[in-house]
Formats: sequence, structure tokens, C-alpha cells
Amino acid sequence: MKRKNRNVAIIGSGMSRFSSHREEVNQPEMIHEAVVEALEDANLTLDDIDCVLHGNMELFEMVHQPDMWHVLGDGGWGKSGVRLTTGGTTGATLACAADNLVASGLHDVILAIGFEKLQEGHTTGGITNMADPLWGRSLQTGALTGLGAQKVIDEFGEERARIAAMKYRTIMDEHAMKNIKAHRRLRLERQYIKETADNSPPLAGELRMIHMCSQSDGACAVIFASEEKVKAFKANPAWVVDHETVHREETMIFGSQKSTQRAAAEKLFARAGIKNPRKEIDLFEMYDPSAWWGVDWLRDFLLLEGDEALKMIENDEITIEGAFPVNPSGGVVASNPIGATALVRVAEAAMQIRGTAGNHQVPKTVRRAMASGFGGTLWTVLMLLSKEKPE
Amino acid sequence: MSNEKKEQELIVSRQTLSIPQRFSTGPVMGRFLQELRDNKRIMANKCPKCGRHQLPPREVCALCNVEVTEWDELPPVGTVRDYDIIFYASPDPLSGETREVPYVECWVDLDGTQGDAPFWHLLNVDDISKVKRGLRVRVKFAEERHGTTEDIEGFEIIEGAES
Amino acid sequence: MKDQSNHAFVIEGKMALPYQYFAGAVGSKFIVALRDEKKILGVRCEHCNKTWVPPRQTCEHCFAPLTDHWVEVQPAGVVTNFTVVRYAEPYQPQEPPYVLALIKLDGADSALTHLLDCGDIQNARIGMRVRAVFSDTPKDNILNIARFIPE
Repeated sequence: MKRKNRNVAIIGSGMSRFSSHREEVNQPEMIHEAVVEALEDANLTLDDIDCVLHGNMELFEMVHQPDMWHVLGDGGWGKSGVRLTTGGTTGATLACAADNLVASGLHDVILAIGFEKLQEGHTTGGITNMADPLWGRSLQTGALTGLGAQKVIDEFGEERARIAAMKYRTIMDEHAMKNIKAHRRLRLERQYIKETADNSPPLAGELRMIHMCSQSDGACAVIFASEEKVKAFKANPAWVVDHETVHREETMIFGSQKSTQRAAAEKLFARAGIKNPRKEIDLFEMYDPSAWWGVDWLRDFLLLEGDEALKMIENDEITIEGAFPVNPSGGVVASNPIGATALVRVAEAAMQIRGTAGNHQVPKTVRRAMASGFGGTLWTVLMLLSKEKPE
Repeated sequence: MSNEKKEQELIVSRQTLSIPQRFSTGPVMGRFLQELRDNKRIMANKCPKCGRHQLPPREVCALCNVEVTEWDELPPVGTVRDYDIIFYASPDPLSGETREVPYVECWVDLDGTQGDAPFWHLLNVDDISKVKRGLRVRVKFAEERHGTTEDIEGFEIIEGAES
Repeated sequence: MKDQSNHAFVIEGKMALPYQYFAGAVGSKFIVALRDEKKILGVRCEHCNKTWVPPRQTCEHCFAPLTDHWVEVQPAGVVTNFTVVRYAEPYQPQEPPYVLALIKLDGADSALTHLLDCGDIQNARIGMRVRAVFSDTPKDNILNIARFIPE
């Protein structure tokens, strides 16, 4: 059983605009946009920040040690700093580390920053270089695979699976249309689901460009503070209840092992006393690298069986107005600056609790929200936030 | 000022980063790659606790966390468990050059494999519409071998031998 | 695993990937002024009373936006520190040995790193006055200044 030394809350967040093209800013300048917005949101100045956490995907822009020269934009001059890089989960790991560092008492106020400028490097090439150089590197094609799609098709049949994946994709786009920061805002229409998929270039197997996450430039900054500081700042908090990380061995892609999504959810819900996540959690910001994975993982994250998750999509339960909104931000299929992506999930979940999500704020009151990260060889990070202060 | 911004020339520096690397195989992958290179043999190691093969072999069992020291030779013949048809042209990490597409990756249960240890490589076919699960396939070894992934050219279909 | 150690060997590998870097609006203005007008631009933070060269979007100390505070500094200044590069690596700007110096230009508060050509490397001194020699061939980088030489 994990125990916190003291409570921690998110009291501000900021994001740069997400786009495939940010030629007008260099890396520290793009990060600066997110940092300034986060400080304004929390009504703080740089003097209030004790420590800067910085993370992105290793070598995705083909530059080494970006934390060193990003100080110009991230405000880290003269402050304590930590660089984290855990692949796709980087952003979520930043949030976990910020929670741990504040809960432990080592720091009072932390600025966590995730960024990526994917236009500058080569995303699929970069991910390919994560594979074992002795065997897998020559065979890997980044994170592109049709196996996730095939799994859903095998289980639910081609027709129902294809429609569910595109319905999910279209709902995400409807959400992204409400989010001014989102990258891909395509105005997809539900009546043209089949044509949209058929006209989209294939990437791997049944995975097409329309299903896959974008390659975005962008940065996200989130401010974490101790309970004492929340009081002192008279802040609007979203409390960090708990988080769980599940890793997995590199080559175990096949077989009957429990998914890291389900494993993380089971551990987290057991500690939080959550019996029925669909009822007891109000909203989920999921790291959905593709529409196919979004469809497949929803079941595991919510500990559902059979086609329950598919029905949630078919019945519009996951829309902004739905009973269980998923990714009101538009999710990762809309915007994916990888090193920032998982931190954006946490930021968005916190914004929904704090009521600061603007056009994509869900209509219902959000008391408990969940955010996930994905990376490595299907690793999962899961974080639970709440409106009420934890006991 | 706004006019000036609109017309401003934005500088971009384009380069290819190319770093020579040296990787130690270690004793376990070393033995696997050596057997591949010198004897065209595919060696899996086998967990003493759960009896599962690992291919490529690793020092410890990924599920039981115990040291794996037993070795089995597996035949270069098996059945396609899963496959991926890749349409996206990504760069070859060894050269930075774009790969030709489409190509097919496959995961093959070599005959006699215990547990989940499908062997991952390319499936070389002239017609991607022939690709399906359950295909019987055989390893095609490269003529020149250096102890790398490329010592195997890929799998090829054994015609008329569907399982 | 002692009986297996003779199986270990070394494989030659490589990691090659294309990439690009965007200088951004501020960095581009600096490079274009160097290239087209042979001018060295910086930005001034009134709050910290400092002029930064090369320029940056915000003051790294106080975070104030500086992009409307452009100043031109002199193409001459003083060596605040230097090192002699004696080893050869690919991608170096010239054959070693050569001197890399930190040069505080007249009107600037921060030092710029550049090549110092003072004849014999033994001649390099902290405090020495130097001036920029601009390149004859325009480039999209800092090497629009070919090198610094003693004034």
C-alpha cells in the first residue's frame, strides 16, 4: 500500500499550440509558450517554482541533452532540475515524479514540462532505434502495426470492428474541433465513416493514416503544489490521488499475459476502493496512439468484458456530453507531440476537474478523472485525480 | 512589424545524423548469432522453470525471472502465427535511406516451440495477397553471414503445405 | 554463465537519421542580419540591464520578452576565455590545433563562442582585443563570421 507524506495538487497548466509546423519558434521558444500559460493559469511567477522537471523522447529531434539549452525557455535558471525520458510515457512519468517529489516534501512547487518537435526529427525512425540493435532494429517499423486492428477484427468481426474504430476516430475529431490547441481538426462526418477510411493511405495492415495519431510539435507545462502551498496561493486544485506504472519485458508481445492497461487499472482501483470505474470515475483522458488501440484499451482500462467497450462507443457514451466522456481534448489521434502527450492527458484531466477546459469542458461536474500514458513495449502509466482533497 | 513577421525568412538547418556504433552481444545473444552465422542453426533457450522457449534467447526468463541456461535447436520451418503488411516507407536505421514498401513482417511458431516464442522476421513473397495466418514457411539464410539479423533474408512460403 | 562467455562478440552498428532544426523567428533574424548585412544583433533586457548575444526570445534570468528590444553590437570585443582544440573529429570547423574563444563584443554582456585565429596558438590571451572577419560566402549559420582575429 502506497502512502503519501502529504497531499499534492495540480494548480495550473499550459500548452503551446499543437501543429505539424512550428518553424517560427525554436525548441526553447515553443516550450516557453506552455510555461508562460501555466504560470498565468496558476497566477504564479517563476520565483514561486522550486524545481523544473523536463522530458521528451530521447534523440527524437536528433539533439542531445535538450534540458541543458532549454533553460532559456523553461525558466530553470538557478533552480533544481531533473530530466526524465521514458519514451511515450515520458509525460506521465513527469507527472508521477512531480507528485512523488512534492508528496515526499523534497519540493513544494514543481513545474513539469514535456515537449516534442517531431517535425525536426523522424518519428518512426526514432522509435525504430528503440528496438534491440542486435535483432529487432532491422525489423521494427516504429510504432506502426496492424496487429492491434487485427485483434479487434478477430474478436468482433470485420464490419463491426471497422465501424467502431472509425466511430471512435470521428468522436475524437468532434472533440478536437472544440479544442483550439488541437493539431488535427478534420471535420469528419459520421455519415461518411466508410469513405473516410477507404480513402486514407494504409500504414500497416488494417491501420490507416486516419486511425493513427498525428506527428505534432508542441509543449505542455503543469504546476504541482503541496497542500500548504495550495492554501497559501488560494489555488484552484485538482488533487493527485494516486498513480501506477506497469512495465513489461521487451519481447513478450504475444501470449496470454494480462495487458499492462488492465494490470495498472486493477492495482490503482484496488488502492482507491473503486469497484465500478465506469460509475465512480467521471472522465478519462486516454493515451490512444490509434483509434484501434483506443477501442481495444478502453475495455482493459475500465475492467470491462466482451463487447461492453464497443457498446460504449456505439451508444455515444464516450462523447463530451456522454455518460463517460473519453478525451474531450480530442486525444492523441488529434495531437501527439510525444514527449508532451502523456502530460497533456494529465493536464486535460485536471482542467476538467478545475473547470478550466473552455470550449471542450464537459457539461457534468467532474469529481474524479483518470489519465493514462503509453510507451515503450506497451507500458502503461495511470493517474487518478480528484476534485475533493484525498483523506 | 506584423508585415515584417509575415515575410520573414525562417532559417532551417537540414542534416543527417550518422553515428557509428559497436554493440556487445553478450554470451547469450552471442551464442544465438554465432550459431546462425557459422552453422545456420536457430538456437532458442529454454526456461528451467516454466519450460518456455525464448527466441531470440535472453539471459533470464521474462516471466519467471530465473536464469536460463538450457538450449534447444529449433528447425527452420514453422507456421505463421501473425503478420503485418507494412505500407509506410520508414528509414533504414543503418543507412537513413527510405525502405521500399510494401513488405511483410511475420511471427512464426517454429516447429517444436514450447510456449509463446514466435520468431520475428520478414516474410518474402511476390504477392502480398498470398499472406495469411497458418501458412507453412521456411527460413531462407543469407549466403554471406556476419552474425546479424540480416543473416536471415526472411521466411519463404512452402508451397502446397498449408496447416 | 561462465561456460558461455566465449560466445560474446562485437557487432558493428550504425544509427543514421535525417533531421532538421528550425532557428525560429529570433534566431533567423540574427542569422539573416549576419549573412545579408554583416551586422551582429543582440537583444537587451532593461530589467536585468543586460544585452544578450546571440539574441534570445526571453531573458533567461527574469523571463521578460525581449523580441522588441533589438540592438546592434560592435563586430569587435575582448576574449574572456579560450581553449585550444588539439584532437581531430569529423564535423569540426577546421583542422586542429585551433583556438575556440569566448568573445564579449563591445556593447554585449554575454560572450559568443567562435574561432580565434591569432597566428600561433601560443599567442591567444585572455583580455586580447579581437574583431570579426566576415565570410565571403553567405551561410545560414554562425559561420557567416568566418573567424575572429587580433584587432
